[in-house]
Amino acid sequence: MRKNKKYWTLCAVLVIVLMVLGYTPLMIPNGVYKPMILGIPYTLWTSFLITVILVTLTYIGSKVHPGSDEEEEES
Amino acid sequence: MKIWIYIFFSIFFILLAYASWKSYRRNRSAEEFMLAGKSIGPILGFLTFSAALFSAFTFMGMPDFFRNHGIGAWTFLAFSDGIMVFFILWFGYRLRKKAKEHNFQGVAGLMVSSYGTRWAGVAMFASAFVFLIPYVAIQIRGISIFLEAAFPGMLPSWVWALIMVVMMLVYAEIGGLKAIVYSDAIQGLILLMVIWLIGGTCIAAFGNVPDLFQAVEEVNAELLSTPGPKGLFSWQFLLGSMIAVVMIPVTQPQLTTRLVVVKNLASMKKMAYAVGIFAILVIVPTIFIGMYGAVKYPGVPTSEFLSQALLFDQAAPVAALAIVGLFAACLSTTNAQIFALGNELRSLLRGEEKRAMRITRISLFFFAAVVMVFSTLMSNELALLARVSFTGTAMMAPIVLMAVIKKSKPDKGVIIISFLAFVTYILSLAGVVPDHVGALRLDLALYLFLVISVLLLTGLKKIK
Repeated sequence: MRKNKKYWTLCAVLVIVLMVLGYTPLMIPNGVYKPMILGIPYTLWTSFLITVILVTLTYIGSKVHPGSDEEEEES
Repeated sequence: MKIWIYIFFSIFFILLAYASWKSYRRNRSAEEFMLAGKSIGPILGFLTFSAALFSAFTFMGMPDFFRNHGIGAWTFLAFSDGIMVFFILWFGYRLRKKAKEHNFQGVAGLMVSSYGTRWAGVAMFASAFVFLIPYVAIQIRGISIFLEAAFPGMLPSWVWALIMVVMMLVYAEIGGLKAIVYSDAIQGLILLMVIWLIGGTCIAAFGNVPDLFQAVEEVNAELLSTPGPKGLFSWQFLLGSMIAVVMIPVTQPQLTTRLVVVKNLASMKKMAYAVGIFAILVIVPTIFIGMYGAVKYPGVPTSEFLSQALLFDQAAPVAALAIVGLFAACLSTTNAQIFALGNELRSLLRGEEKRAMRITRISLFFFAAVVMVFSTLMSNELALLARVSFTGTAMMAPIVLMAVIKKSKPDKGVIIISFLAFVTYILSLAGVVPDHVGALRLDLALYLFLVISVLLLTGLKKIK
């Protein structure tokens, strides 16, 4: 359980870091659309990539989340 | 095309009839009718949550948003959804615990018992009513635009809206939430299929994805970066939108309720990441449709772009499926929201269950009538209207968040400050209050005010 809590906190910290990054000029530079990857503009491919990572972190988070059904039954 | 429309509509109506037959029970309890017996599995759970979240607004609003304002629309919705689904894991767990402790009947009712005052519930219901009604009206407006274009001169838009609303009421009355959940699942799958078919056609028109973006670059390169040609997607707008989107499961009762009616925590966790995958899958093709529109139909009105891109530029079966898909999307989303409003009202009512249910059923008709009137008054800026709705309800988030976080009764001051922010936001929409505080957008300033006020309230209580 303690190990799960550690991983869960790690996932949460990573999500917060990515969230903050998403609103910096690194991700949404004004008027910049290069470098393109496969013809896809910069902000689109970077934010797409981070969205996929966020969903992956949600998947991992769902596995390591410290809450359980037994706990729910008790409450 | 007409024959395809008849075929797909027939299949859709048969599926709906089957769903309502399967959900109908003669002597069901209020909990079975309004909360589907709190026994929804993970697959139905994620489909119903996704369908309530992604609706006609996604199908029509997002392509138009990409067409007019460019690729920042991805950050506006999909990136925000990525954060929201992770947040669901944390919030859903705490919400379900609280819901079990207080025998959840609705968000407003939960707030009444958590805070120990009816005002907490009334405030939640008021915010849901004020901002969900326009949001539901957006859906009806969306489908009316489309049906008018598909069948020019056949029926006035208010008759299309009336048909939708009557169908929705009959369906909800027969099957209750369980039937709505089934129709959500059907709608979600149709939406996903049809949006990819149309997205694929839009890519094929240019050969491949790089060529599509190259064509956009030649027409209007500003669409390929933020803040977009009209300067909409500033970091402040995007950040404010993200907060509003992340707060959707907290403040929009149709979604909050879906986190509670899923049968167990394991199912809810599966639902969270499945919604994230669904979000990516459903928003990606809207980029292609929007970029296609930016090249082929720049500057034309929304209704013309949508009818061309989704209908007349498609093969007959795809266009017919688009009509049925949109109709289904509109039906299930409006159903979910009107039903949620009814449930919120019920959770506030005291006294005999039969009387409460009778009032709730009558209220569904009342909410539907208000929605119908609103739908004839709405503008075509579907995505922006949706954002206003999300932001408005987000102002009430501290009430719900404090209720689920705190083990003891939260400070009633949270209700006052949230309501203050909510009213200020409404006044800004009416033009009474400026929409900026210095250089800061008002929504961000209000979020900041809410965070600081809640921290101060909590700190003061600890000192006492």
